[in-house]
Amino acid sequence: MKRYDLIVVGAGPAGLSAAIEAAKYGLKTVVFDENARPGGQLFKQVHKFFGSKEHKAKIRGFKIGEELLADAEKAGVEVHLNATVSGLFDCKEITVIENEAMHHYKADAIILATGARENMIPFEGWTKPGVIGAGAAQTMMNLHGVQPGSRVLMVGSGNVGLVVSFQLLQAGIEVAAIVDAAPRVGGYGVHAAKVARCGVPFYLSHTVIKAEGDDHVTGAVVAEVDSHFKPIPGTEMHLDVDTICMAVGLSPMSQLLSMAGCKMQDKGGIVPIVNEYRETSIKGIYAAGDVGGIEEASSAMITGKITALAAAYELGFAEEKDFREGETRYKASLAQLHEGMFSPANKGRTDLTVTDEGVLLSQNLLKKGYLDLGEIMRFPGAADEVKKVHGIHPVIECTQNIPCNPCQDACKFGCIAVGADITRLPIVNPANKCTGCGMCVASCSGQAIFLVNDDFSETEASVTLPYEFLPYPEPGTKGMALGRDGKAVCEAEVVSCRLSPAMDHTALLTIKVPKEMSMTARFFKAVGV
Amino acid sequence: MRIENHPILGTFHEGGQMVTFTLDGKEMQGYEGEPIAAALRAAGVMTHRHTLKRDEPRGVFCAIGRCTDCVMIVDGKPNIRTCITPLKAGMKVQTQYGIKAKE
Repeated sequence: MKRYDLIVVGAGPAGLSAAIEAAKYGLKTVVFDENARPGGQLFKQVHKFFGSKEHKAKIRGFKIGEELLADAEKAGVEVHLNATVSGLFDCKEITVIENEAMHHYKADAIILATGARENMIPFEGWTKPGVIGAGAAQTMMNLHGVQPGSRVLMVGSGNVGLVVSFQLLQAGIEVAAIVDAAPRVGGYGVHAAKVARCGVPFYLSHTVIKAEGDDHVTGAVVAEVDSHFKPIPGTEMHLDVDTICMAVGLSPMSQLLSMAGCKMQDKGGIVPIVNEYRETSIKGIYAAGDVGGIEEASSAMITGKITALAAAYELGFAEEKDFREGETRYKASLAQLHEGMFSPANKGRTDLTVTDEGVLLSQNLLKKGYLDLGEIMRFPGAADEVKKVHGIHPVIECTQNIPCNPCQDACKFGCIAVGADITRLPIVNPANKCTGCGMCVASCSGQAIFLVNDDFSETEASVTLPYEFLPYPEPGTKGMALGRDGKAVCEAEVVSCRLSPAMDHTALLTIKVPKEMSMTARFFKAVGV
Repeated sequence: MRIENHPILGTFHEGGQMVTFTLDGKEMQGYEGEPIAAALRAAGVMTHRHTLKRDEPRGVFCAIGRCTDCVMIVDGKPNIRTCITPLKAGMKVQTQYGIKAKE
């Protein structure tokens, strides 16, 4: 049996962050992961992350994964791949299956960072080839470069369903619809809006009831559900799809903790009861990341650091001063992510009707996935439009309190303010002159910022929008401007399509439209495409 | 279908080696080292196995080696999770019926 100071199970964002932190204090650490590659699910995340600079906001998930691997290598972290941990015992011993043999390892502290698995809901035909997890779609297209299908029905409107729907579109796959049995969009409104403006319809209070086809999916039947989530007869609707993608939640993979005898509780999945350092009821066994409760990668990285710091202090590797200082910093960082209407404390709440600022929330966004023009003007990022600023200026369609502030840092001219509390809605300051650089548009992880110039010409306005699709339209390309609902609203012509390394693959597409359409046109489709 | 050019990720398999393998005796091509399941999906193959009791088709579901729905017979060995098993030149892949190949 081999001995270490610390064993980490799982080489995803939480596990690697824990191991890097532990290495700082000189703990002899080993990480086990059942996969052939480290990084967990980070390498499938092609969108820009939320948060602030210290949370690596506006950096794409797979880039954060690359940084994490480089840091782990620099710290000399020992990672065993293709190593499945099959047992965890309260004496802080584990069994690992490596090379088809069972090995024993023991440590003074163990951090479990095993993550989560995808949930499933059964329906007629759900076992057919072509019914896949949303994670599977991400894996196939973003890791292996293979389209999972050609036309997809997405089941679930949480952040996973929304983000993966957008990724499907980016991979050249059609998304026929997003359905959700809940009456409201579950994920961030900005994620919904960027999918909706591409023309993907949202069917809330709807679920999939049948996968059609003999040996693989050739269609889907969806139906409206009543308040008890039961399909309403007569509301069935057929969709031509070859793939049904399930994004109906995640469950912590906490079996090893149960096995060791940690006290568990059911909190939307079986999770361990932990203290403020994520230590379980068994001293020296910690839970970092999603295994302790579903969140996202940014908080997983912080909880990984917290557990390692606590273990380092507990085992006498970290001085009390360093421990207190680190604890304060990490807890503050985590608290920032835990604020706002999507905080863990607000999970499942449906009674929120106003933002922290007291602005009435957009009901259209929750029911259809996009903002209604009439609702936008009441939010601080678009209020200036009412005042009719002359020349080019940002319009920020960010209407929910989510922890994110890259737009504030992106504007070097002080046009945008979020403030110290990163869940506040961004405010456009009309006193400071916008230069039209567009860095705010490219930096917005939610793709919710547009540059509008009502004085583009006598009769035309220009709209600059974030564009992450290929091919990039050439200047002069004629087409249709689409509204927030993805429907064609007027003719449009491409003025420019700008891309620089600082924009990190978010091109700035500027189109010109009739003046009166400047607050309606939000996407572009070339004619004949 | 393979993604030729991705707006964020660029191209895949740059400098990758195309290799030949067989599915139920039929020659197919895929990139060396990619999961067998990726090569099969790129070639339009959906069914990986048939269940023992009801003879129902099954294919990829989770794509990360967790659900075991995509298992096939690879080089004579049954129950191989094709979504996490790297493709090698000359591999003999067979549709699995129950836990065996078709007689």
